[in-house]
Amino acid sequence: MSSDSKERFASISPAEFFKRNPELVGFSNPSRALYQSVRETVENSLDATDIHLILPSVKVSLDRIDLEKEVYRLTIEDNGIGIPPQVVPNAFGKVLYSSKYTIRQTRGMYGLGVKAVLLYSQMYQDRPFEVQTSPRGSNRVYYFKLKIDISRNEPIIFHRSSIENPTGWHGTIITVYLVGDWLRSKQKIYEYIKRTYILSPYAEFTFRDPEGNITYYPRVTNKLPRPPEEVKPHPYGVDIELLKYLIATLRYQYDVRSFLINEFQSIGEITAEEILKQAGVSSSTPASKLTDDQISKLVEVMKKYEKFRPPSADALSTLGEELITIGLNKVFSPDMVSAETRKPKAYQGHPFIVEAGIAYGGAIPPSEFPIVLRYANKIPLVYDEKSDVIWKVVEEIDWRRYGIEENQFPLVVLVHLCSTKVPYKSAGKESIADVEEIEKEIKFAIMSAARQLRLFLLERKKQEDERKRMLTYMKYIPELARSLAVFEASNENEIDSRAKELEKKLIEIVSKKVGLNDPTLYDKLKVEIS
Amino acid sequence: MSEGPRISRSDREARKRAMELLRAKLLEISEQIKKGNPPEILIPKRTLSNTVYDSQRKLLLLGNEKFRRNFIDLNESRRFMQTALMSSIIYNALLNDEYPTIRDLYYRGKHSISLKDEATGKVYEENTWDEQKESDSVIVDIEVFTSLLREEMLILSKEKGKVVGDMRIRSGNDVIDLSKLGHGAYAIEPTPDLVEFLDVNADYVLVVEKDAVFQQLHRAGFWKQYKCLLITSAGQPDRATRRFVRRLSEELKLPVYILTDADPYGWYIYSVFRIGSIMLSYESERLATPDGKFLGVSMDDIFGSKTKKAYLSEAERRNFIIKAKDADIKRAQEIRSYDWFKTKAWQNEIDVFLQRKAKLEIEAMASKGLKFLAFNYIPEKIQTRDWIS
Repeated sequence: MSSDSKERFASISPAEFFKRNPELVGFSNPSRALYQSVRETVENSLDATDIHLILPSVKVSLDRIDLEKEVYRLTIEDNGIGIPPQVVPNAFGKVLYSSKYTIRQTRGMYGLGVKAVLLYSQMYQDRPFEVQTSPRGSNRVYYFKLKIDISRNEPIIFHRSSIENPTGWHGTIITVYLVGDWLRSKQKIYEYIKRTYILSPYAEFTFRDPEGNITYYPRVTNKLPRPPEEVKPHPYGVDIELLKYLIATLRYQYDVRSFLINEFQSIGEITAEEILKQAGVSSSTPASKLTDDQISKLVEVMKKYEKFRPPSADALSTLGEELITIGLNKVFSPDMVSAETRKPKAYQGHPFIVEAGIAYGGAIPPSEFPIVLRYANKIPLVYDEKSDVIWKVVEEIDWRRYGIEENQFPLVVLVHLCSTKVPYKSAGKESIADVEEIEKEIKFAIMSAARQLRLFLLERKKQEDERKRMLTYMKYIPELARSLAVFEASNENEIDSRAKELEKKLIEIVSKKVGLNDPTLYDKLKVEIS
Repeated sequence: MSEGPRISRSDREARKRAMELLRAKLLEISEQIKKGNPPEILIPKRTLSNTVYDSQRKLLLLGNEKFRRNFIDLNESRRFMQTALMSSIIYNALLNDEYPTIRDLYYRGKHSISLKDEATGKVYEENTWDEQKESDSVIVDIEVFTSLLREEMLILSKEKGKVVGDMRIRSGNDVIDLSKLGHGAYAIEPTPDLVEFLDVNADYVLVVEKDAVFQQLHRAGFWKQYKCLLITSAGQPDRATRRFVRRLSEELKLPVYILTDADPYGWYIYSVFRIGSIMLSYESERLATPDGKFLGVSMDDIFGSKTKKAYLSEAERRNFIIKAKDADIKRAQEIRSYDWFKTKAWQNEIDVFLQRKAKLEIEAMASKGLKFLAFNYIPEKIQTRDWIS
């Protein structure tokens, strides 16, 4: 628990746009908005914990507080790193003021999520949102009531106070009021929480729904995934806006050559000179003095230059085969689980890793198509399943090749894409676009996990056959033994004991022959003759 | 073993012998098990390919091919159990002085076996056997396996054959005079080996396929006039009738003449009496009568030949002949290919049939007048040695 809780914050752009385009961030109607609010806040909580090596405890509760207007109070509590009190108003009250505009894998990519929730909240009702937070090591708990001044993109502070923190609690509690539609979003919200839990079995979740039902998901393991490291951007992933942002936030005055070497990965002295030469920019030009033309020329060259080393995958945080296996086992109690984490790959300068998990049998309900669990950067994707590239890949797999013979089969396929930039189809972040490199990796990951399914099914079939053979013989042994005993016995009373002897011997012979060495088997088989 | 007065000496001896043989065979299986070996029995194969025609002894015999029936073989396990089960039922019947029929044996052995797999909760249930066909087939297996015929194991079947003639036999503890049965006849018992031949006054045995013709010949006093034993199999001969005929031929050295319809089915009845059946070739050695002769009705009885005048006139032929059906033709061709029909006389007989496509029932001969059949046709055929063999 030694990770630095201080993150970098910076501001870039106003709130108005999001207020006007709520559908772009997943708030198109009250039911979707309720789901999206739960999702954004849960992800925020997880990002405040596991990345910082804290085992997450997340409590979510939804209460309907207005019977007429369907207004819900969403409260989410985590045991994360907390937020320093001086940045709370801006962190919540100013859109695009975020800790996340850096290059590493986090759940929320734009850092907009929670602010979209807040914007949505105040669009349809008047109550301000509330934040309680205590950073790690702080001896006070801070309490705020806030709103966003949309036209000025500034926080409005209604209340601010603090109390002592004698227990050393750290974390954040957010309370926000929302117009929602519980009945229509109920199933998706439950699904979302369950799927989140599958991929974070090191977390515990408590969820109280508006009907008063409480669901508790216990922590199954204390093993945390390796957190992502913050890395510098790779030149392939650069665009004009990013370059401008990087220049604007520079802490030192660099010449452009040092800027390239220090602020990007895969650029050394020789490469920097080469790029600048091609872009026609003098290496001694101060970075802050670059003209728009020069910047766009630089971006162009950086995109085209072919000799960069591939992007570093250090920024990625996979779950790992062990945790995937634990999660699937816990939630589905299957007969078999396998998982595969692929090696890092890159598309358009963005590193990515695909992981897949397969669970078969047990408590999984059989159906004609596998249950597909899609994840991007540990976020479960619940909506728009069929437009996702993961669905497309799963659809193309012939499961009979892996030993599945039934038309309805109990199968779960989990795919997790980790990337510093997940190619979502829309800002709603519910489905992943068809990117050839990613599609290929998804396919390989599933196939690799499925090979273990094939081995499992083969072995199981073999065992079933053996058992079936055994059962056939077992079925006839008492009758055979009794019939033969008739010839051995010198009187009626002797038949039973003679039969028992023969029976015992026959079982020995049969089990030796069949090669099934399960001593408990015989106790479990009861033959009755009537 | 109880020795009630009703049990005759021959019966007692038969029981003792059967029990000893059966027990010895079944104890071999127990021995294998005790030695830790998968129990296995060797059974001669009952297939056409393992049916051999012994041209010297003129018998259809079981060949040397055997198969191993192993209990630890998914395909044989059930049958193995059935074989042991049926053996124990037969053994108990012998022990208790009973005469079960094959149907009795079917019911005595039929019960359900259920196996509950407590690991999966599944229950598997089946019957030791379902239909009598299945248990009948197991009995045949036991006959082959132990070399004991069912008659020797005192298993009864329905009585079918009948006999009359100037002869006395002992059956059980009674002496029966086969010449003093009025219009009736003695039903050949299912255990013909328990019958003791006391004295006989006959020159030959006439076996007729049709029960109706038998009755007519009986009432006409045929057997008295011609000093013969008259027997009917009433269709396909059962084992007891065949064994009875065989004993008459073997022990009393009486010639045996067989009279059937003039068609492939009649020929096959004759063939079963004489050579044995394909299905049950294992029993031929004790049931077949290799010296039996096919008296008729033959094709040249109907149509005549270069050297023989037909018994039927042109007009009678027109009225009595039945046109052969496709099934008859097919059957005739099959019979023609059997080794034991490959004599010149039989090939000729079948060829005429195939050419004329005509068949005739014995009743047609009788309709010329019973006197013609009894006192003209049959005696003349025997006297002129006009038979096929």
